[in-house]
Amino acid sequence: MSYNAAMIPRQNPLDDAYAGKSAETRHLKPGELSTGTTIMAISFSSGVVLCADSRVSTGSYVANRASDKISQLHDHIWCCRSGSAADTQALTDYVRHYLAQLAVETGRPPEVKVAAHLMRRLCYENKDHLMAGVIVGGWDPVSGGSVYNIPLGGACISMPFAIGGSGSTYIYGLVDSEFKENMTRDEALALCKKAVSHAMARDGSSGGIIRTCVVTEEGNVKGYISGNTLPYGPAGW
Amino acid sequence: MASSGSGYDLSSSTFSPDGRIFQIEYASKAVENAGTALGLRCRDGIVLAVEKPLQHKMLVSKTTGRRIHTVDEHAGVAITGFVSDGRQIVGRARDEASNYFETYGTKIPAEVLANRISAYVHYFTLHGALRPFGATTLVAAYDPATKEHSLHMVEPSGVSYEYYGCAAGRGRQPARTEMEKLSINPKHQQGGGGDMELIDVQEGVKQLAKIVYTLYDASKDKPFELEMSWLCEATEWKHVGVPREFISAATEWAKKEIEEAEEEDDDDEEMEE
Amino acid sequence: MSLSLQAGGSATRALPSAAGTTHTTSPITTGTSVLAVKYRSGVLLAADTLVSYGSMAKFKNARRLLPINSRTLIGGSGEYSDLQSVSDLLKRNALEDKCTADSLYEEENNEECAKEVWSYLRAVMYNRRSKMNPLWNDIVVAGFKQNDDGTTSDEPFLGVVDKIGTAYEDDVLATGFGGYIALPLMREKYRPDMEEGEARALLEDCLRILFYRDCRALNRVQIAKVTREGKVLVSEPYELDTFWDFKGFVDTKAGLGTDGGW
Repeated sequence: MSYNAAMIPRQNPLDDAYAGKSAETRHLKPGELSTGTTIMAISFSSGVVLCADSRVSTGSYVANRASDKISQLHDHIWCCRSGSAADTQALTDYVRHYLAQLAVETGRPPEVKVAAHLMRRLCYENKDHLMAGVIVGGWDPVSGGSVYNIPLGGACISMPFAIGGSGSTYIYGLVDSEFKENMTRDEALALCKKAVSHAMARDGSSGGIIRTCVVTEEGNVKGYISGNTLPYGPAGW
Repeated sequence: MASSGSGYDLSSSTFSPDGRIFQIEYASKAVENAGTALGLRCRDGIVLAVEKPLQHKMLVSKTTGRRIHTVDEHAGVAITGFVSDGRQIVGRARDEASNYFETYGTKIPAEVLANRISAYVHYFTLHGALRPFGATTLVAAYDPATKEHSLHMVEPSGVSYEYYGCAAGRGRQPARTEMEKLSINPKHQQGGGGDMELIDVQEGVKQLAKIVYTLYDASKDKPFELEMSWLCEATEWKHVGVPREFISAATEWAKKEIEEAEEEDDDDEEMEE
Repeated sequence: MSLSLQAGGSATRALPSAAGTTHTTSPITTGTSVLAVKYRSGVLLAADTLVSYGSMAKFKNARRLLPINSRTLIGGSGEYSDLQSVSDLLKRNALEDKCTADSLYEEENNEECAKEVWSYLRAVMYNRRSKMNPLWNDIVVAGFKQNDDGTTSDEPFLGVVDKIGTAYEDDVLATGFGGYIALPLMREKYRPDMEEGEARALLEDCLRILFYRDCRALNRVQIAKVTREGKVLVSEPYELDTFWDFKGFVDTKAGLGTDGGW
């Protein structure tokens, strides 16, 4: 229960900039594509699982129902993108470029930490012009599997698991309750699929199929669950 | 030098007909006559040492004209040659380390640091308007990502190599010969005992002191101060000065060793007679 | 796009509006209060480990008490990304000082004292607000003053700088919500000769009350201290016990035959 003046709507609900838009999409310009999204990553002992829905929308029109929001930054480093599709694509392109350059200069695979740091620098220094919430995850020989969350303002926080995008607000309780430390690869993958399918079922801006990516020293295994065989929904209760 | 004086030694932008760049060779000459700089890679860290000649009796030697500098938490360099040229390199090395950390959020790997320094030094050998650096740089660094320590040396020509032990300046040849006798190169270990047979930094400090004093001739050479730093397990891989008491103790030990060796030589000679 | 040294943009992008650009800037990822108090052997700082995202308690294990060098500590509230970049900046300066110091021997050099860091931070914050692009933080700086020769003095230092570059010193300080709720309590209990245990208990009590009354606070906290000889120590995050068993809380209040209540 909340007892304060904030309960009275501050903004006229008919105002164009706000109508029918969530906190993460209301900043979009008319016509700008948004990955009103559910994304997630869990690190386990020898790697990470990344997971995302596939819906890209413009307002309430589904512009792409089977997009891929899990992008590769380096051999063993990936990221989940949320926010503006244009912004996050540009960001991943830059980080991919810098990491490739660094790998050549140092002659060794870059750390996940470095990828997250680059992403954060770009997000922080251009925060006025960007709409990007990114989860960076991957495997490196120094730290093993790791996950970093880079939310809107360009902070960078390392965490055992991360969820993001508009749909994530619906599954915080579920994931908080089901997550445990030192999960196995299969446990982590199952939790990702379950949580993201629940978010997709309640968040209008998330939906379609689930894409997953399991990153370990051995390599990357991409997975796919079609929209009619999800662990839960889209209909549900 | 066959072609010197024929105009090919005026700038580093032109090769001589026999394929040499004299300005670089002259820059190397400048280093050859400067105080000896030594670097030793030991089992548990790196030791740097420089013989700093005391040009004047009234010099405040403790705080001025330093030859060993810290570049990053886990990286230090020793310079010899034109000290002012060396300081320019030190400044650049710090910028490289700082920029790398700011950009990537991890410490600069030793090899990258050495390469960046050598690229900078090399740049000054390319243009007619520039003068090559008359300084050689020894780079000691630790990489927290790989947990390895390493020693590199960048010469006035801009080349850099990694070493188990290296020396620059006056007396570098005999110094290298002395270093080859130390067990610092795991590939040359006879017992095949691996790293455990290599000397540690404590021993390294003593041995470097011994080398410096072996090469020193009090009757010919200027008085000098021995500057030493290390970067090892015991310092949590930070680059710091070797405690002064430790340097004096090593110096005492070195002098005694040298004296004893000389006495033995004298005895041998007497026996022969 | 460059990765230049230039500090970042404003706390959030401006909202689109019909007439010109509204520079509505507000923080996105925020930390709440920082508390600080001088005591017998130094300065004690306290803060919780929550970083909120709007009203969502998003990051529950984020550190806001950060050592800058061997004798200076900062604690920050407000925009977390700005705090990270301020801390990066101060640490970079500290490293540069270390590298360019006169002596190879750490014990012969003096790192920047807290008062210098605080003055510098004031200039940074004022500069940014003058560009209409503030760093959205209130930052507490703790440590010791220094003697004329640069050695650490016996006198503890405690100062704060806010997002527009206002800076002042005091014996007790609190930022954010703590300024309203904790500061009066701390002023009441404060004595310059408090022992560490006493000062620590005071800070924990205040953090607990803030957890009860601040929607953006958490009971997972950290305490940090700067002492003259022990230098800087930051605790690992730990959880405070809370109390919910007052009679009036336990007994039903909203049933029939009661006076109602909230």
